[in-house]
Amino acid sequence: MKPIFRTIAIAILAGTAALPSYAQTAETNTFPGLDDDAVQQWGGEEGVRNWVESLFYYIMLDNRINHVFREFGNIERQIYLNTQLTQLVLGGAVEYQGASMAAAHADLGITVTQFNAVVEAAYLACERVTVTYEACNQLIAALAPYERVIVTR
Amino acid sequence: MEEAKKNGLRLYKSAALVAAILASNITQAEMFNTGKVLATGGVSMIDGAGGGGITPWATITGYATRDGINGNLHYTYAPLANYTLHSVGAAVGFWDRFELSYTKSSLTTGSTFDTVGLIADTAGGPSGQLAGTPINTGIEPFNTTIDMDIVGAKVRVFGEAIYDSDNLIPQIAIGGFYKKNENEDLLKTLKAAKAKDWEAYISATKIFFPINTLINITARYTAANQTGLVGFGGPGGDDKEIRPEISLAYLLRKDTVIGIEWAKHGDNLEGESVEIGGLNLTELQPTLDSLGMSNLSGTLTQHESDWFDAFIAYFPNKNLSMTFAYAMLGDITITPDQHGFYLSLQASF
Ligand code: HEM
Repeated sequence: MKPIFRTIAIAILAGTAALPSYAQTAETNTFPGLDDDAVQQWGGEEGVRNWVESLFYYIMLDNRINHVFREFGNIERQIYLNTQLTQLVLGGAVEYQGASMAAAHADLGITVTQFNAVVEAAYLACERVTVTYEACNQLIAALAPYERVIVTR
Repeated sequence: MEEAKKNGLRLYKSAALVAAILASNITQAEMFNTGKVLATGGVSMIDGAGGGGITPWATITGYATRDGINGNLHYTYAPLANYTLHSVGAAVGFWDRFELSYTKSSLTTGSTFDTVGLIADTAGGPSGQLAGTPINTGIEPFNTTIDMDIVGAKVRVFGEAIYDSDNLIPQIAIGGFYKKNENEDLLKTLKAAKAKDWEAYISATKIFFPINTLINITARYTAANQTGLVGFGGPGGDDKEIRPEISLAYLLRKDTVIGIEWAKHGDNLEGESVEIGGLNLTELQPTLDSLGMSNLSGTLTQHESDWFDAFIAYFPNKNLSMTFAYAMLGDITITPDQHGFYLSLQASF
């Protein structure tokens, strides 16, 4: 019984996970639109990378979420991909090479409480790398709609 | 045989596992939650609902997300020129969906009604009688207080004030208050039609993160005079009407919000005099004249103004918020220029 079922199960899982990952992850259309110079407000693309490093530092200090990243995450890969994604949604001319937000988080059972914990880490990281609150909210606006696909509980 | 035994063991094991998971889920499903981002629970408005200072918002009070419940206590103190408002209450938000609140407001009127109280006493004579009828104005010769109980409920209907920054659909909530003013005699003196009444409202709230701005628009269906502190309705009846309210807030920092508010008020008692023992004060003019109190009736005409305020709310952490405001409430009954500072503290648990 086992091998055939396992194969089918894996195929289905892989299929559902793989399908949405082809979906486009692009800039968010916010209302009103983001500032044209949002990336500059963040200290350029290098500034964004500094922030992502800082973000993961605060994420790993938060008991509400760090266990999820320890168990299912790959911090180095996530820092790399989140840097691309953040640069992209702030208006940078960058390609995002990772999975779609829906695919990356589908099986994690993330709650809105955990999503907000990442938002709080984002604000703390902004303060740490001296990105202003106003500039930080440009990113908050761009990422907030992903709550709909990242939170699955 | 051996196989069956193994299977049986496995069954027990899985049953134990399921039980363990269930148990851990029950402890995990702990009701208490403070998962909202700092400041996004709003503060307590004077009627006790979650919102700004004078207007209920579509946000659900407290820090609970849809994963739990969270409550708060608030105390508001507004020393105006002639009146001082104290308001104490408790509110609970359930699953970021539903909100219940109870507030007790107490308005000490200082010297405002002292004149009226004195006239009533004087006109009524030592026995407190006017034209043979006992007078009960609800006004002590000195320092009258108006108490009001307010029960509120709010339910969030649809929309995302915070997350849906890629559309313009606001978060919508509908809610209501039941208000019971305790000083019925004073309300009769001031000619309000009712001492107890309900109000209903619909609120639309949206945060625009790219410009750090929150906008709330509320339509309140009410017959209140000064939010009910001067009762509901007037000589013309107690019909409710729709009154708009607007809050505009700027997110200055993640823990500090500044803003302005406006609430339309009614005119049920506009231009009305004060009634003592079934007589208008104007009708009492000859009596007042003979007592050397002429010209008083002119100063005893009631007015009501729209309310405005400008506020700064500070959220040092998720357990405390402090709102400082300057409230411009205009005419309140017979006294003009009721402006003053406003302080509201909210403790969340
Ligand atoms: C707006 C918020 C978020 C953004 C922008 C975001 C972004 C990302 C990105 C870019 C990846 C890499 C995808 C890939 O490997 O191809 C990722 C993976 C991951 N995210 Fe998030 N994420 C968010 C919220 C969260 C939250 C709230 C949690 C958990 C509490 C979380 C946990 C994870 C984990 C564990 C992975 C690794 C999944 C895997 O490799 O299988 N994320 N996220």
